[in-house]
Amino acid sequence: MNILETKQLTKRFGGLVAVNEVSMHVEEGEIVGLIGPNGAGKTTLLNAIAGLNPPTSGRVFLAGKETTGLPPDRMCRLGLSRTFQIPNPFPKMTVLETVNCATIFGNRKGAVSDVAAHSRKMLAFVEFPMPADTVSEQLNTVQLKRLDLARALASKPRLLFLDEVASGLSEGELTDIMAVIRKIRESGVTILMVEHIMQLIMNLCDRLVCIQFGTKIAEGPTQEVARDPKVTEAYLGAEADQCTAE
Amino acid sequence: MSDRFIRWCRSAAGVTILLSILLAVIATIDRGPYILVNTAITGGMLALVAVGLALLLGVMNVASFVHGEYFMIGTLVAYYVFTPLQNFLNTNPSPLLAMVAPLIAILAAAVAGAAAGALTEIMVFAPMRRRSRENWVMNSFLLTVGLAVLLINGHLLIFGADFKGIVRYWAGAPVTIMDVFISRDRLFAFLLSIIVILAFWVFMKTTRTGRAIRAVSQDETGSLMVGINLSAILIFTMALGCSLAAVAGASLLFLYPSYPTVGLEALYMAWFIVILVGLGNIIGALTGGFMVALLKVLTVEYIGSGWDFVVPTALIILVLIFKPSGIFGSEVRGVLDQ
Amino acid sequence: MNAFDKLLRQLNLTPAGVLGLAVLAVLPFIPPFNQEYLIRWLIAAALIAAGAIAFDFTAGFINIVNFGFYAILGLGGYTSAILSVNVGLTPWIGVFIGAAAAGVLGFLTGLLTLRLRGIFAAVMAWFVGLALMGLATKMVWLTRGPLGLRTPRLFDTASNIPYYYLILLLMLVTYIICSRVVASKVGIAFKAIGQNMDAAKTSGINPTYYRIINFTLSCTLAGLLGGFYAHYYGILTPDIMHTSKTVEVLAVAYIGGRGSLWGGAAIAFPFILAMELVRSGLSNLPGLNLILYGLLLILVMIYYPGGFAKFFDAYIRHPKNRALNYFLNGASVRT
Repeated sequence: MNILETKQLTKRFGGLVAVNEVSMHVEEGEIVGLIGPNGAGKTTLLNAIAGLNPPTSGRVFLAGKETTGLPPDRMCRLGLSRTFQIPNPFPKMTVLETVNCATIFGNRKGAVSDVAAHSRKMLAFVEFPMPADTVSEQLNTVQLKRLDLARALASKPRLLFLDEVASGLSEGELTDIMAVIRKIRESGVTILMVEHIMQLIMNLCDRLVCIQFGTKIAEGPTQEVARDPKVTEAYLGAEADQCTAE
Repeated sequence: MSDRFIRWCRSAAGVTILLSILLAVIATIDRGPYILVNTAITGGMLALVAVGLALLLGVMNVASFVHGEYFMIGTLVAYYVFTPLQNFLNTNPSPLLAMVAPLIAILAAAVAGAAAGALTEIMVFAPMRRRSRENWVMNSFLLTVGLAVLLINGHLLIFGADFKGIVRYWAGAPVTIMDVFISRDRLFAFLLSIIVILAFWVFMKTTRTGRAIRAVSQDETGSLMVGINLSAILIFTMALGCSLAAVAGASLLFLYPSYPTVGLEALYMAWFIVILVGLGNIIGALTGGFMVALLKVLTVEYIGSGWDFVVPTALIILVLIFKPSGIFGSEVRGVLDQ
Repeated sequence: MNAFDKLLRQLNLTPAGVLGLAVLAVLPFIPPFNQEYLIRWLIAAALIAAGAIAFDFTAGFINIVNFGFYAILGLGGYTSAILSVNVGLTPWIGVFIGAAAAGVLGFLTGLLTLRLRGIFAAVMAWFVGLALMGLATKMVWLTRGPLGLRTPRLFDTASNIPYYYLILLLMLVTYIICSRVVASKVGIAFKAIGQNMDAAKTSGINPTYYRIINFTLSCTLAGLLGGFYAHYYGILTPDIMHTSKTVEVLAVAYIGGRGSLWGGAAIAFPFILAMELVRSGLSNLPGLNLILYGLLLILVMIYYPGGFAKFFDAYIRHPKNRALNYFLNGASVRT
């Protein structure tokens, strides 16, 4: 069953078409990677689906029901959660309070009886390394990413968007996060992840969707897409540009 | 071409501009050309203040509550420069000095405004920027609130609460245009505002510094990387924005005498404009200046003075309900949550 | 935990807070504070303190400065005053109708500013306040405009003491209502939308709903305080709605510490008394007290944006001594 399906999803900013008629789907239980060069419109696509920045045209279906243009808080309660590329959840709150937010408001009323216990369970699940009463602004980026993950999981999502959850991690941390992501999938959550790190993509993803300049250029099983000449070209071309820019 | 024109007419900007022109024409036919004259004078000066405010918002990301106080500084400096000159003229008449005395006063106000602006950036914003960028928009806004209180009451403490005004800058009979008598002061104020706006426009478009300012407003980090001296640009922007407000204050001294809270009206009129047009481009602020001026003049004319608080506000609230990003603001995302 | 501690926790008070309130309660009988003009200063301070709590409820939590705060407070006052003057309604009922009117306007302002980002919402609220003040000035047939509307007083006595206790009570009630809401789940939503709108939304929080709740409650409380203002001073002019009044409460709230509720209330008393001393003692230097206001606000914003409450939490709140810790934090530290 398709847990997520988009039909001709388009997002314009003024004259700029950031996402151009992207149709894709995610099946229940999968890990799907959304790849593409920088600025291809991956995060914009996630935002358009999750309601943070509603699409200009096209349709979104979550578990078979149309959810096009619903606000993000509704999407969250319908079972769609996401993490942020540069996570900075509530800087003045403690770690526990941060997760509590999603536990309380992301679930249906009364779905969680002991809020604090559920939040602590989520923190333990992502192997959060700091005490629960640490104030968020004292955490480093790696810890913030873990915290954001725990927050996203606290609303018991059916589908989880991970936006570059592994960027900036060391080799050892990468192995850790892969284990956590596998654990999330085993707990029955479907994952759509935006990622640049090939190691992660090749190891985790069942299928890939590649977009370039807002348009889908390939979709299919991981190995197939990775060998697709269009994809290699998009990446190599873009990386060559990046090298000169940097 | 005609296709684009029709599309523009249907856009929010087109509708409001056309509607404003229509209103202005109707009111002019109904009450006389002085409506147009008043709108032009007030509009030009409002535009100066609003452009300064928009500049600070765009470049420094500061929502200034203190901008009206630079208007106040302009009135104050112009008064204290012009009054001695005039006293001197009363005893030693000299046609040449009578010609340039107002210009000296306004120039002094411009310099003082620029100095005050630069000082504000160096003494207040720069230390704050160094300490923490966290919650910058809100904290810098509160900072300007404190600064406004300080400057208003500083004026009260040092110069007193009485009205420090002049009767006129230029002696001589009013000029007649289209059968309307326009005092020389008003005519000059209008011309000055047009000249300053044009000069500002040319400056922003053609000079290196102008381009650097626009670069900073679009991408601060990026502009640092291409070698723009950020702190110098910030000081310069603040000086420029405040100088514009001071010029407006000085040119209008014959209408608004200097007193502690004279800047408040200029401030909220400028904010009206900035919010109404959206935090967009400078053209937006310029056009908005004339539109709000028209609104003000019409309100005073048809409803009564004092209501120029209420009617424009109500209208702006209505506009924002239907077009929350402002009438020119379709591409500007700064105002909205999303 | 004994009954006293339980009660304190219910009310979100600490033993230190109770002591502070007790001192305030006996102050009017201790020289030099037993003079009427000093009691009037205390009343002014308590009014600002209560206002700062209601103001911080919005500013410190959802991070929106309600720049029309005193205009809305004034609306509550005018509503009650006009009802008592024109209809003959007793002020004791009028103040509640005034509070309701202010609440309705708060609701509408909340709706109006919904889609605007923090700072622009503040400017919009300011415009609403300016419009309201303009109305109060121009609707002379109803408000008597700048001439001032004479209002019946709440107590039939020349003494200020009953008013003092009433405003202390109002301050306490404001604090208890605000702090209980803030400590509840609703309060978590407030903090979330104030700190990171996108993360709040994706955590399932509907910002519209909570912003409106916050505005409505804060403005209702402001309206109630406005009723007190109207029937205490006995005369109401549009000046009550002036921006400078809002700035006064804003300065106290932020210097006291945003997001603490109690910070503004705690510093309001010494602060306002000192300001009044400067004003009356150096009356040949007008505006000096407000210059100090502005200067202090600037310094706090640059060097210590968290204000007094942040300072207190960082350096004073957790002493080693257990008795002192109990005194400052209550029976057990809340988690």
